[in-house]
Amino acid sequence: MKQDCLSSTARSATTVRLLCVFLICLCFPAATLYAQDSRPGEYQVKAAYLYNFIRFVEWPAAPAAVKNGPFAICVLGKDPFGPVLDSILSGEAIGGSSLVAKRISKPEDALACRVVFVDASEESHLKDILTVLDKASVLTVSDIPKFSERGGMIEFVFDGDKVRFEVNVSNAVDAGLTVSSDLLKVAVAVKRNSQPGA
Amino acid sequence: MSTSRSKSIAKKLTRMNMVVCVVALLLACTGFVTYDFSSFRQVIVRNLSIQAQVAGSNSVSALTFDDPSAAERTLSSFRLAPSIVSACIYTADGKPFAIYRRDGNAPIPTEPRTLAGREETYWYEHGNVLLLHTIVFEGKRAGFVFIESDLRAMTARVKSYIAIAVGVLAFSLVVALLLSHFVRRSIAEPVIRLAEVSRQVSREKNFSLRAAPGKEEGELATLVETFNEMLGRIEERDRDLQSARDNLEKRVNERTAELAAANKELESFSYSVSHDLRAPLRSIDGFSLALAEDYADKLDESANNYLQRIRAATQRMGVLIDDLLNLSRVTRSEMQRQRVDLSGMARTVASELVKNDGKRQVEWVIQEGVEGFGDARLLRIVMDNLLGNAWKYTSKHPAARIEFGYERSNGNSFYFVRDDGAGFDPAYSERLFGAFQRLHGMTDFPGTGVGLATVQRIIHRHGGRVWAKAAVEKGATLFFTL
Repeated sequence: MKQDCLSSTARSATTVRLLCVFLICLCFPAATLYAQDSRPGEYQVKAAYLYNFIRFVEWPAAPAAVKNGPFAICVLGKDPFGPVLDSILSGEAIGGSSLVAKRISKPEDALACRVVFVDASEESHLKDILTVLDKASVLTVSDIPKFSERGGMIEFVFDGDKVRFEVNVSNAVDAGLTVSSDLLKVAVAVKRNSQPGA
Repeated sequence: MSTSRSKSIAKKLTRMNMVVCVVALLLACTGFVTYDFSSFRQVIVRNLSIQAQVAGSNSVSALTFDDPSAAERTLSSFRLAPSIVSACIYTADGKPFAIYRRDGNAPIPTEPRTLAGREETYWYEHGNVLLLHTIVFEGKRAGFVFIESDLRAMTARVKSYIAIAVGVLAFSLVVALLLSHFVRRSIAEPVIRLAEVSRQVSREKNFSLRAAPGKEEGELATLVETFNEMLGRIEERDRDLQSARDNLEKRVNERTAELAAANKELESFSYSVSHDLRAPLRSIDGFSLALAEDYADKLDESANNYLQRIRAATQRMGVLIDDLLNLSRVTRSEMQRQRVDLSGMARTVASELVKNDGKRQVEWVIQEGVEGFGDARLLRIVMDNLLGNAWKYTSKHPAARIEFGYERSNGNSFYFVRDDGAGFDPAYSERLFGAFQRLHGMTDFPGTGVGLATVQRIIHRHGGRVWAKAAVEKGATLFFTL
């Protein structure tokens, strides 16, 4: 019921927006070449990608506590997704467990998650967070700059106006995760930490 | 000509071998190629399907993370498959996502064809095969792969097939030619040999010839055997026929000799009879004459009358015996055939007849220059008899006309003697030529009935024919040929 209302307001908002775009188009034909607003929003795309990553990553056998619970995708810090993430994950399942979105504030809570999105608001605590999650089989994703070089696994970047991502395979392997080559194929960059001895 | 005819069976056999070989090969090639095409098409489609599956599964991540360049990289691997004209990856809602074109400008369907619930479908368009494959990832439709491939692999295969077929055909023809050479030796040659022998047999009429039996078996051996057997039977029959003919000839000769002997016996018998009959007749005639001369006054009238009758009968019997002698002489005498002037002969006979009885009014019409080929003495007897008869049977008419001539009608030619005398009833014309057969009474016309029998015998000895036409009191015509 609530969702219906939401979607209907969203739809009317879109209509108004389209009308505006149309008017702008009439006034400035050159501006219509790229109608950015008609595309899905940045975090809509990122939410979808979060869900898609699951299908290209393999987790090792999880401890019983984690295994029996739902497959949790957590957002650490401020939630940039809003209801979008929930709507994407609702009704979806993987390996018999249903997918849920969780909002957490403490890094320790992320240990019960399979995927954790670290919001940019947590950039100052990034080192602590990654220390907590070290060796834990949790896929870390963030749009914090240089995230993949600072110990994260997947970092959202922009390629022009398109949302793309970089993958640090070494960090994923250290956590016992296997990233599919298909995912690496579409990554803008695949990074590996240089070995200490090399 | 005979060789070309005898060679024709060998030629026919060779031609038959060739035709059978070519037809069988063509049929086999057609069947093989047809089968291979249908199976090869399936192979092409299967390969295309595999390529679509590979391309599709390699494009899943690109589709998921909206990375067309990654999908295009995947599709660009089709450069290694030159038969693929174009390929396209569509998003799950049917929008083109990544495109590959071999020639750079091939048209791409803007919307994937409906799959009607199937995961994959293919169809043919302007000689190309097109395939649409659904990309399924984790049980969901992630997009579509479309591939269009030309059939150049098939064309290349067709070309190689044609080359192979032509090669095989040429090789088979050579083999068939060699084989037909052997077939000729085993079939045609015995037949040709047989034909040669049969031709020789019919040309030389030599049934003692035999076809040489060869190494062949079965029908050909039977043919040769039967042919020889047939020749043997013909030869045997020929021999039988010859011996029968010889036998027949011998028997004919025997019969002829027997007949000739009998004939001769009969003739000499009749001659001696007539000859021996003369002696008593002469004494009857002599003594009756002496009786008439010496004792005429001592005998009464009735005795003299009897005596006269005895004398007349004796003289008639003398004429009869003369005629019989003549008849037998006619049969026995040797013939000397030569050209005879029948007109002259007729004139002589006529003048002799006229000399004997000059008081009669008879008109002689004798055709000039009539000639015959025969024995002059015998022909004179014929003319004597025929003209004499004409003279005799016209004696009751005050004026008569006697003709002799030569006539041609309907391709036949014959001599004739015509008179306008007493004639005879044509119903008795068959009896006319019998010895001692007479159609008239002795008192009307004297005669012995031997004359025409003699004529017929002479004419028959000349190989001719004699016949008569007559009517009572309308005269008679006697015809003869020589």
